[in-house]
Amino acid sequence: MTAQSPIEQEVAQLLVETLKLKVSAAIIDPVQPLFGDGLGLDSIDALELALAISKTYGYQLKSSDPDIKVIFSSLRALAEAIEKNRTK
Amino acid sequence: MTTSGAMRDTPLIGSYSADDVLAWEQGRPRTAGQFLAEGSHLAEIVPDRPTVLNLANSRYEFLVGLAAAILRRQVTLLPQNRASESLRRLVDDYPHSYCLTDQGETIEGIESILVQSQQAIAPCHMKIPRIPIDQVVAIAFTSGSTGRPMPHAKTWGALTAVAHATGASLGISSRKPLTVVATVPHHHMFGLEASVMLPIMHGAVMHAGRPLFPADVANALAERVGPWILVTTPLHLRACLTEGVKLPPAGLIVSATAPLALNVAQEAEQYFQAEVHEIFGFAEAGSVAHRRTINGEQWHPLDGVRLNQDGGSFLADAWYLPTPVPVPDRISVNVDGRFSLYGREADQVNVAGHRVSLGDLNQKLLGIDGVQDGVFFLPEDESPLVTRLMAFVVAPGKTNEEIQRALRRRLAPVFLPRPLVFVPRLPRNETGKLPRESLLRLVQEWKERADHGF
Repeated sequence: MTAQSPIEQEVAQLLVETLKLKVSAAIIDPVQPLFGDGLGLDSIDALELALAISKTYGYQLKSSDPDIKVIFSSLRALAEAIEKNRTK
Repeated sequence: MTTSGAMRDTPLIGSYSADDVLAWEQGRPRTAGQFLAEGSHLAEIVPDRPTVLNLANSRYEFLVGLAAAILRRQVTLLPQNRASESLRRLVDDYPHSYCLTDQGETIEGIESILVQSQQAIAPCHMKIPRIPIDQVVAIAFTSGSTGRPMPHAKTWGALTAVAHATGASLGISSRKPLTVVATVPHHHMFGLEASVMLPIMHGAVMHAGRPLFPADVANALAERVGPWILVTTPLHLRACLTEGVKLPPAGLIVSATAPLALNVAQEAEQYFQAEVHEIFGFAEAGSVAHRRTINGEQWHPLDGVRLNQDGGSFLADAWYLPTPVPVPDRISVNVDGRFSLYGREADQVNVAGHRVSLGDLNQKLLGIDGVQDGVFFLPEDESPLVTRLMAFVVAPGKTNEEIQRALRRRLAPVFLPRPLVFVPRLPRNETGKLPRESLLRLVQEWKERADHGF
């Protein structure tokens, strides 16, 4: 598995806590898919996650973001989007 | 019965002129003339089959497919979910179906037709087709106790009557511009009635999208023309409140699928400056009642719906229902016809000889300040003495003691949850419901963790 960067560790922790995943944050592969076959998240998870990201980082996710599919494709992509768009 | 045996028919859409916008899809208007042209074009090319699985993701493409099927006298199947296993079983039951998609998905064993807005088709003259009210146009499914989905046929008369009665209860007038945006899927009964039939019967604009995130809801509403209606669920409404999104003025919110707590309705009315209404219904009968949540817990039956006592339970009756339908929830009806809702019949549990409705307990839990979500559960395992209720609660910032204290004020001691488990969220599905299997899984997970000393 690819190693997690510090921001990826932080976002992985947020994921696990927000969604009450039964996995340890440290074992989420940054390049593994989050939805569907990967971690198996669904649209309600996406909604929960978006609220947590907004609260923690001040970044409001939108489905209309042209790269929304990319953003949610993996921990790495999500962490990069947060780094780029965070306001706190 | 107010209808005689003589065939009656009603128009496929409400009063639109050819250039009126009927739908808004991906930032572009779709006029009524274009819709009729696309619907009749598709009706000419779909295969000759009795039933169709309409899987279109766009609410507009779904509507075009629905219209084409209606014009061909085909019945649209409304699958409960998109899980491949559910679709496969539906095809087993309706093998002579075809499938309509706007994304190119296929279902093994049946023909798949792509439905996509065809700009090239010239809008036709506004000759709105008329549809017989007794034509079966859709079949909705509920989970049977046997595990096999139970079919419920919907006539054109039923769908249109509910749309008109819902519009009347919300105070909608056909003469004002109005846009309907929905977070709910259009292939469920409530979504079909409130997000598709409601706008097209009132000459309104149907937004084709399905906003998920609060910011999406705000963006979709920002595209509207004139006043708006947001068709949603308690789950999405809470998300919009938590996020604190700004919604445009002149709106009305309609929530269904689970009862909305009074405090959430009050907060939403105040924060969004919008009326918050609720619709109560069930797939067997469709929408049957309405309330504006802040005006009291009592429900008003929709025009034409009567609730008649039948022994210990009630039957919903309306001219468009072939037979009266048992109300699956416990209700008590006033002399004026209004009624109170106490939760599903199957919700009844017995704790140490005391009967209680889990739905009722859940409502009390949800009414506590700071509780965002919560559910009571009666474990099935055999305890040496009395099996106690447990509860899961989502209440960030609150302590176990605070919630327990508030519950003690609302419940008989025998019903207090032991334990009360704090969770970050409940495993609700996309319509906001909490399937029993998901709840059982949550209980199992909690037990496993409790066993490991968490």
